Amino acid sequence: MTETSRMTEPDEVALLEQEDQPPAAPPRASGAFGAVGWLRWGWRQLTSMRTALILLFLLAVASVPGSLLPQQGIDPAAVQQYYVSHPGLAPWLARLSLFNVFAAPWFAAIYLLLFLSLAGCVVPRTYRLARSARALPPPAPRNVARMPQSVRHQTGQDPAAALAAATAVLRRRKFRLRTGDGWVSAEKGYRRELGNLLFHLSLLGLLAAVAMGGLFGYKANRLLVSGTSFANTVTALDVFHPGRLVSSSDLQPFTITLNRFQASYVRSGQLRGQPSSFNANLSYSAQPGARAQQYDLRVNHPLNVDGVKVYLIGHGYAPVFKVTDGTGKVVFDQPVPFIAVSTSGLTSEGVVKVPDARPDQLGFAGVFLPTAVDAGGTLESVFPAPLNPRVSLISYKGNLGMNSGPSQSVYQLNTAGLTELPVPPRPLAPGQSIKLPGGAGTLTFTGYRQWASLAITYDPGQVPALIAGLAALAGLLLSFFIRRRRMFVRAYPGPDGRTVVDVGGLARSDPAGGFDEEFARLAGEFQAAYAGETPEGKTD
Amino acid sequence: MAVNQGLSHLSDHFLMVTLILYFLAVLAFAADFAFGKRGAPEPAQAEVPELVTAGAAGGAAAAKPGASTASPGPGNAGTANAGPGEAGPGNAGAVTGTLGGRAASTGRPGLRDASFWVRAGLALTVLGVLGHITGVVIRGLAVHRVPWGDMYEFVIAVTCVAVLFFLGLMIRYRPYRLGLFFMAPIVIIIGLAQTVIYTPAGPLVPALNSYWLAIHVTAITLATGTYVVAAVLAVVYLFADRHARRVAAGLPVRNSEVFKLLPSPERLDQFAYRTVVFAFPLWTFGIMAGAIWADEAWGRYWGWDPTETWAFITWVVYACFLHARVTAGWRGRRAAYIQLVGFGCLLFNLLGVSLFITGLHSYAGLS
Repeated sequence: MTETSRMTEPDEVALLEQEDQPPAAPPRASGAFGAVGWLRWGWRQLTSMRTALILLFLLAVASVPGSLLPQQGIDPAAVQQYYVSHPGLAPWLARLSLFNVFAAPWFAAIYLLLFLSLAGCVVPRTYRLARSARALPPPAPRNVARMPQSVRHQTGQDPAAALAAATAVLRRRKFRLRTGDGWVSAEKGYRRELGNLLFHLSLLGLLAAVAMGGLFGYKANRLLVSGTSFANTVTALDVFHPGRLVSSSDLQPFTITLNRFQASYVRSGQLRGQPSSFNANLSYSAQPGARAQQYDLRVNHPLNVDGVKVYLIGHGYAPVFKVTDGTGKVVFDQPVPFIAVSTSGLTSEGVVKVPDARPDQLGFAGVFLPTAVDAGGTLESVFPAPLNPRVSLISYKGNLGMNSGPSQSVYQLNTAGLTELPVPPRPLAPGQSIKLPGGAGTLTFTGYRQWASLAITYDPGQVPALIAGLAALAGLLLSFFIRRRRMFVRAYPGPDGRTVVDVGGLARSDPAGGFDEEFARLAGEFQAAYAGETPEGKTD
Repeated sequence: MAVNQGLSHLSDHFLMVTLILYFLAVLAFAADFAFGKRGAPEPAQAEVPELVTAGAAGGAAAAKPGASTASPGPGNAGTANAGPGEAGPGNAGAVTGTLGGRAASTGRPGLRDASFWVRAGLALTVLGVLGHITGVVIRGLAVHRVPWGDMYEFVIAVTCVAVLFFLGLMIRYRPYRLGLFFMAPIVIIIGLAQTVIYTPAGPLVPALNSYWLAIHVTAITLATGTYVVAAVLAVVYLFADRHARRVAAGLPVRNSEVFKLLPSPERLDQFAYRTVVFAFPLWTFGIMAGAIWADEAWGRYWGWDPTETWAFITWVVYACFLHARVTAGWRGRRAAYIQLVGFGCLLFNLLGVSLFITGLHSYAGLS
């Protein structure tokens, strides 16, 4: 692209590299300019390549903290943890939106300015392209030999015939032609500019598609123990992040049942314990009353229900507990999802809350070990599959505190109103029970089920974003691999009576290189044409 | 499907041989600087922008049309400014009097003109890359998938792409003496890959078990390998440009002998630019394919995960480079520095984000 700066025609330079010049100096505060002048100057500053470059840099730099600091939208637990470990710094970072960089006002300011700058650059270019698409190439310069590429031929043909021969070659090569007295000029490769425009316009389109997803889409999570089902309503979802213009009635009314969850693991070798496949067998009906269908939900294999996608994002164990209280009544009999705290052995933790137990409420904090092995007095899980499942529990009685105060997490026990019961710490195998002291009741570990966690997302901007992305790529390829180039030919009688043909060539943009070779090829074809050869059958 | 350990070991052997061949190539390219003859014409010297009476250059360029216009006659194409040896109607020396640099590049010196050491270096590199490709393919056969599923495999594949692109550059533009500067880092990278991050062949975790691995990671591998070449060119450019500036300013210079043998700074800058022009669309496509895969696997096409964020940062910085090259005051050295910053972001994503960032999330933060 640097070649173009050597060009002699100022209007051409302006067409191709209007951003290349430093922005004009600010207007003087004389009466002629005033507010309009300043606005115009500001607009020119904003839409200059230099400003776009700086904004691009800022965008890159502004993204960095988003990858180094925990982000609210990605890992809220890590943000909480950061508050705990940096109590002095964290509130200040939060004030600067550094835990939510990609939704921060200053981040939005950068990309909106960038896109404004881009629009201010692209729109006038579209006009110029439309005009130049109709215009003829400029006349051949007087001295064609001064072009970056040039060659001089001699031929016995008269100048008009030589020129006609060269013109025929250029026409066959689909150049746009302009002829004059003793010269021809030709241009080709307008699609390069078109590609450049397409690329930048597509980026604007991409931004619009992302915004569309943010306004009309939603994201949700739901943990589902095998054998249970849920309906896609706001109350049934564990986590629900609606877009700004989404209401609860916009949710597609499907129902999903998890029939079975299966995980398989590498059983031997260095990678022992690494998962090799997950499969969640679902039944779903798209609407209440619709026929139920089966689906094997796997990683990389989401379920699509009416444009809403359901993904398998996690799994774990839900040991099943049966609790009989002090009055001899069965007050609890259900699976309790435990959350993995180690990936290698899937050691999982969870709590059991029995608010209906009498005379006292009961609570248990437990650890589930899929493949328990005694390692020097303590149990640990050495394999993620349930080869030797054990549960170890700490038992409490008292007040669970569920009827007052802030809402509790189902994964945490508020031990403030509870007393630990002196139960020998014996891990339970399936079927085994603990008898609680003082007639508080009995807990039986009856077995375990698996659970799967599902992500439910709806993003109407997805397809537009894909189209914009593909268009941007197409534009990029056009603008890189099509060169806009000109050929000039002048033919005149030489001193010895033979005709001299000067051929010049100029690539106004040649990012991928190769104009020199094309020029040599064309020059060769010209020579063949003066000699009266038909070019048919020749290879390029 | 089970991993074929025999094939996996065979792949390791091929890659070890590759490393040795590349190392010998580096020695050969270095020997060229130490003992090579200095008379051979270089492309850098053939592009002095003045009227060149084309000898071999013009002849080579016109060989095709010249051969096809073999019948001499008064109406035939002739020559002007040609050396006496080539004058004559219908002669192969028809295209002459090239003006400006780029036309002359069609007349780059052939392999015949290169020194023994350069030819030895190139031959060793070609042999090495054959072993390299074989090693990568056998690893793929051993694990029944594309052989760039873990960090070790990725680095091996990236260096393979870089060497292939380097050889392509050698064939097209023939800057043979850049061989030393390319192959030395390649040897170091492969050596580190085989010692520090070697991973035995194994199956992938379910999250990677998708045909998008083949599409997304292949594009990223191709782009990264090409960016490696561009980064080497930028570094050599910066040294050559500094040398040229000092010469122009009359300052004392060192290693003039070496710089005389290298392409001109302008040419190096152009090589680097063209290399990025190839890599950038590949990187763009790789990010897009990754977004589609992320949508399939995680339910969103973009989520500002650290790896995604750094892929985006890398994309933006290389976009800066492409824009800087058409902006007054940013061409040349500044553009080269931007390109190297982009490469630094790429490396950080590959090494830093993969190895350290999870730790930064909670404890190692800014404390």
